[in-house]
Amino acid sequence: MTHQPYNKPLPQRLPENEEFWAGLEAREFRVPKCDDCGYWHWIPYPACRNFLSTNQTWTTTSGKGKVFSYTVVHRGPGGFRDDVPYVLAMVEFPEGPRNPIVIGTMVDVDPDAVHTGMPVKVVYEDIEGENVTIWHFAPDD
Amino acid sequence: MGFPQRKAAIVGVYNTKQARILEGTPWTLALEAIQGALDDAGLKHSDIDGLSSMMYDASLTAQQMWVEQLGGRPMTYTSHGIAGALVTKAAAAIAAGLTNVVCIYFGNAGMRAGPSKQRAAQEAAPVVRKAPRVPDWDFNVHGAYMSAWYALWTRRYMDQFNAPYENLAEYPVIARYHATLNPASIMGERGEITVQDVIDSPMISSPLHRLDCSLDNDGGYAILVASAEVAKNCRKAPVWVLGGGEGIYTDFYMSFTNDWINDNGQSVRRASDIAFAGAGVTRDDIDVTGMYDCFPVTMARNIEEMGFCKVGEGHEFIKEGHLKLGGKLPTNTDGGLLSHSHCGNPSGMHVVEVVKQLRGECDARQVKDAKIGAVLSQGYAVHGVAGVAILGKD
Repeated sequence: MTHQPYNKPLPQRLPENEEFWAGLEAREFRVPKCDDCGYWHWIPYPACRNFLSTNQTWTTTSGKGKVFSYTVVHRGPGGFRDDVPYVLAMVEFPEGPRNPIVIGTMVDVDPDAVHTGMPVKVVYEDIEGENVTIWHFAPDD
Repeated sequence: MGFPQRKAAIVGVYNTKQARILEGTPWTLALEAIQGALDDAGLKHSDIDGLSSMMYDASLTAQQMWVEQLGGRPMTYTSHGIAGALVTKAAAAIAAGLTNVVCIYFGNAGMRAGPSKQRAAQEAAPVVRKAPRVPDWDFNVHGAYMSAWYALWTRRYMDQFNAPYENLAEYPVIARYHATLNPASIMGERGEITVQDVIDSPMISSPLHRLDCSLDNDGGYAILVASAEVAKNCRKAPVWVLGGGEGIYTDFYMSFTNDWINDNGQSVRRASDIAFAGAGVTRDDIDVTGMYDCFPVTMARNIEEMGFCKVGEGHEFIKEGHLKLGGKLPTNTDGGLLSHSHCGNPSGMHVVEVVKQLRGECDARQVKDAKIGAVLSQGYAVHGVAGVAILGKD
């Protein structure tokens, strides 16, 4: 097989979420926060889930959280087939109310050491030639 | 105004052969299924005047093509989604006079959904020039797919309720036992399995082993819902739609609530409460069920959200054997998605099996004197898309 630098699915970078993608490039994980009720939201929508307010501001989170759930994948799809075993985690951010929960792979971690409640931080990967940065999680020692 | 009871009935059902690979196309398998259901009912294709596609991405154009295929004249009702909801809404539309005979149909060939398909595609075209772009929050970016997603849910469930994996692993054992009694099932001929067999099968995405996962195969099915007027002249006794409900919310594999499992319930709870209230029956009245059972945790959460046990106790309900033939809530007597068939959007086959049970057509796996059945269809877990139908015979 011809080696290619990155052959896994990548997210579309849409103009309405540019603050988010630009944030990843700046090493910040930003989510919409409602100016009216203070809720932090994930995934982003143009209006707050509470009262449909459009007074939301992309706000930088702490970039830290705790593992809400996890799995060690032993059979990966497509471009992930050669990465097994890898850890997929759901991470709950401390920002509340309505703490965001975000899914991502874990890097720099022993799969056997991952557990629910484990402190983690967001880490960033710039994808060469693709004009997009994606996020992962790593142990927050 | 309550649900229009006994205004509409399921009059015809049919499963094509279900197998890993079948000859034909999604179209020809759906066509075979529709013809089979028409024969089962004693109706003609020209009797159909409503169409409900089970294709997840059913377009209006695809529905129009099927309207042409099925007689080339205008029909008066169309819908798409998951089977429990489509049965319910067909009955409501029939009661409202919008349509008389609704055909719910699905076919799938050569379109397997899991990693095996992606792997085959990759090997066919080994040089990937560019990373594919997917919707911005798609879980595929993170190496997730169905089994991995349900593994996350399973882990959370186990942690939150101190649920032993071994309790959940009892479900594949029950499903396989049922499949051994169903000659049409894909896995029945391989014989019964034990919890140890589930544990010993290859790890797919921890804690899920291969035998915890759905099949991934070809097949088709069709269901005909007709007015009471039409039903009285059909070949077999009507299976009445007594009530039903639909729910829709989150968990489309990108987003979820942080109270993922709570006492208030999610889509399945809403759909179930509406369905039981509309039908005027209680949980204790149910003789047999068909519930969407893509992974053991789905089954555990189904019975909790449907009100057959308390939240957090579903794994014990499974362990105690209540879902098995002879138990108090025999469920998925065809072998379900783990051992009968998962043909892409398989939720209609839960309807087919419950209808056959209520008709007394299930031979070795027949639930004695089954009179009232419940069907739960799902997409995207109990938080996502849910459809419940309560069915009964005279």
